[in-house]
Amino acid sequence: MAATDTPLRTQAEITAHVKALEALLIQKGVMTTAAVDRMADIYENEVGPQLGATVVARAWTDPEFKARLLEDATVACAEVGIGGLQGEEMIVLENTDTVHNVIVCTLCSCYPWPVLGLPPNWYKLPQYRSRIVRDPRGVLAEDFGFTVPDNVEIRVWDSSSELRYWVMPQRPEGTDEMSAEQLQALVTRDSMIGVGPAATPAS
Amino acid sequence: MIGIRPDATELGDARRRVEELVCTIPGADHQPFDQPWELRVFAMAVAAYHSGHYEWSEFQLSLIESIRRWENGEAGVPWSYYEHWLRALETVMSSKGLLSEAAIDEEAKAVLAITRNAKHQQKAQRDPVAVSRALTT
Repeated sequence: MAATDTPLRTQAEITAHVKALEALLIQKGVMTTAAVDRMADIYENEVGPQLGATVVARAWTDPEFKARLLEDATVACAEVGIGGLQGEEMIVLENTDTVHNVIVCTLCSCYPWPVLGLPPNWYKLPQYRSRIVRDPRGVLAEDFGFTVPDNVEIRVWDSSSELRYWVMPQRPEGTDEMSAEQLQALVTRDSMIGVGPAATPAS
Repeated sequence: MIGIRPDATELGDARRRVEELVCTIPGADHQPFDQPWELRVFAMAVAAYHSGHYEWSEFQLSLIESIRRWENGEAGVPWSYYEHWLRALETVMSSKGLLSEAAIDEEAKAVLAITRNAKHQQKAQRDPVAVSRALTT
């Protein structure tokens, strides 16, 4: 009967299979991409960026962990139980007073999903992928309302299937008293992509 | 920070409606999504139902059947809850004449070919692909 009678082997094959099914169902008019996106959005946080946020908050509050994270993100993440990387290498880029980092996948949509969940739609679109490389400062300001100070260098990093980058945003000011758990809520997905700062605590 | 009751939002409403559907499904009490495709399959099954292409009971039965078949002899295949969703969705769609095995296979091959050729097989980039220098110091 169904095409899936043969056990599907790799995650890549299953992913391709699911993409194929979606393409066909859209072609047949059974559903629209927007309808599937809407439904997926409801659950997006289930696989969302909390894991990455946990890691960043820990690094903000634990200098030794931070050192290990910047040294080898794959190993440091495994330490806190985040895996599923299938041998891919991960590098965490630290934002500082003089350097701001932002990630992209120029060829497709490689994304550090074990820590950030599913990529937002705009991350996959050609507009972002090409423009962020040509004019990072402009794209951050115009598309994301995020003005990077003139004295800060912006570095754009291209993820691939074997090496995935993500960003450790700067810890917001006025958060000295906050616990790692409270800080976690400030670490947004966008801040770990590098298209925005971490949120500031609600006054 | 003041919390917002998750079920008091528009998203919460939508989610509750989905959960009313899902709670009638065996084994769905809480199955986390481990892989992006799992969420996609889940969303597709619910979206296809919302667009009126099948009765939820038809999907339920297909899912139960798929799980039963796994229990009866495909135990060599590792358990993957959402593979059963995938199979159930395909079965229901095929029974409506909206899909064929061959079409899915052909399309999946095309998707894989794109993944292998066009996608990221080049050497990992270990330097920034672009740098916008500081404008002032």
